[in-house]
Amino acid sequence: MIEQIINGVVLGSMYALIAQGYTLVFGVLDKLNFAHGEIFMLGGFICVASIALGAPLPVAILVTAIIAGLLGLLVEFVGFRKFQSPDAHLTSALSSFAIGLVIIDLSQKIWGAESVAVVLPGTLQTATVSVVGLRIVVLRLAILVISLALMFVLYLVVTRTSLGRRIRAVAESPAKAALFGINVTRVNQQVFFIASMMAGLAGLALALRTGYASSDVGFTFGLKALAIMAIGGMGDLRGAVIGGLLIGVLEAIAFQWDLGQLADVFVWLFMIVILLVRPAGLFGTLISKEVRA
Amino acid sequence: MIQDYVVFVGVNIVLAWSVYVILLAGSLSFANGGFMAIGAYVSGVLTVKFGVPLVVAAPIAGIAAGVIGVLVGFPALRTRGIYLMLVTVGVAVSVKAVIESIDYVGGIQGFGGMVGTTPWHVLGLVALVGCGLTLLSKSPLQRILDAVREDELSAASLGINPVYVKLTCFGAGAFLAAVAGSFYAHYLIHISPDQFGIVLSVFIVLYAVLGGTNNMWGPPIGAAIMTLIPEFVRGLEAWRPTAFGLVILVLLLIRPNGLLAFRIATTRTKVALTALDFTGARSD
Repeated sequence: MIEQIINGVVLGSMYALIAQGYTLVFGVLDKLNFAHGEIFMLGGFICVASIALGAPLPVAILVTAIIAGLLGLLVEFVGFRKFQSPDAHLTSALSSFAIGLVIIDLSQKIWGAESVAVVLPGTLQTATVSVVGLRIVVLRLAILVISLALMFVLYLVVTRTSLGRRIRAVAESPAKAALFGINVTRVNQQVFFIASMMAGLAGLALALRTGYASSDVGFTFGLKALAIMAIGGMGDLRGAVIGGLLIGVLEAIAFQWDLGQLADVFVWLFMIVILLVRPAGLFGTLISKEVRA
Repeated sequence: MIQDYVVFVGVNIVLAWSVYVILLAGSLSFANGGFMAIGAYVSGVLTVKFGVPLVVAAPIAGIAAGVIGVLVGFPALRTRGIYLMLVTVGVAVSVKAVIESIDYVGGIQGFGGMVGTTPWHVLGLVALVGCGLTLLSKSPLQRILDAVREDELSAASLGINPVYVKLTCFGAGAFLAAVAGSFYAHYLIHISPDQFGIVLSVFIVLYAVLGGTNNMWGPPIGAAIMTLIPEFVRGLEAWRPTAFGLVILVLLLIRPNGLLAFRIATTRTKVALTALDFTGARSD
């Protein structure tokens, strides 16, 4: 049971990584980025490709982060640049969805429709460590630690740096931020780069954890992160983390009880209920507007 | 072959209209693929397991989905914009997952044995819905819908109940999607839950938006074009999804209001456009 919960926390940390990307984009642009899940999916494949080319794991991680970030810039340019008016949320959702379709199809062209195995040299994928009598796969522990660290860094960036101040200003009001001399387009690009980078890294983590990269995780795993973002609190970084960990653990427990099939429904129903009762999300109002990214 | 085109284009036209009806009142729905699935399965169960004729089963399935639509819509329409988008995506995903877990209708394997849709059924349905929408566009109800869509608050101040109007439209959209779904299922003979995923729901919205939602002729144009384009790019067989996605992007970028968008901009959209220009001219 405790091992299941630990698995759930690891799963949840990946959900949280993706949900943070959704929440950053939502917070700044008030738009949903439906291509986000596909960039997450592609993260796994970029990792596969770079390892196949002989790159060591750290290089593969770096390459994945950069390529995913650049793809984010592309998504911003094609799918969002032209649809910035408040009434355009349907158009931008549809255009980012179309980008997602293209990404899925292209990745299936390159790597095939079947999932591709990720094999790391050495025993990194199987090594375990004993902590107070529990055997935990080192890789999972590393994923958990690294993603929590990443999210903490993002939180610091948003709350403590000048980039974070600009991001918060644009989230507050693009027009006013522009009046204060902030280049709003540049901030949007930075937000998309960061969000997509984290999605790519989450995809890499999932590929390493499960041992294969597959082209349908964007719609299953990635879309669920969207619901998690809404559960935690839209546009709220801490909400996305807590929501991700919560759903990850609940899902692991559901699998333990053989309710895996209904876990998907549960997440969405939970989200619907939350949106009706507390449109700001579970943790939406607990955090001051100033901290909202 | 031509039969396939007629049925698929016809079904997609009705689906596009089902979204159009919902957009008319200013809400939106990514759940119509789910309502279509409900229609397909309910009518399928009625005809295959209970021997009900198709023309009776289709409206019954439509009413069932309409009732579910209203039940879902009543709380959902309290939310708007992005939130409504999320709620309806949730509904679509849940419907699919629930159908997958019901063994009575075959679960993940799908459900078969539905026969009986002829192209004439579909043409008749398109004509019927088209006539209904034409009548609607000439009736006072259209002006009520316009009022609710453009400004809910002032509509309410004129004695219109916006929630009631939006709910009616949501139910009507679910009804249309379910009827289209039942004819679709009875043409395909075998259906399975993964045909009704979230992709389908998004595509239905795409049909309507690409055609233009300012008047009732946009959605059918969009549906017809989006159904037929993949047939015409046969030479690109292997690259179909990519080409399709790129076509969608190009259409959205060059005609964000849809192919057939000829209604004059209202004051509200003009204000929005001015605001856009203001922020658009901001760089540096």
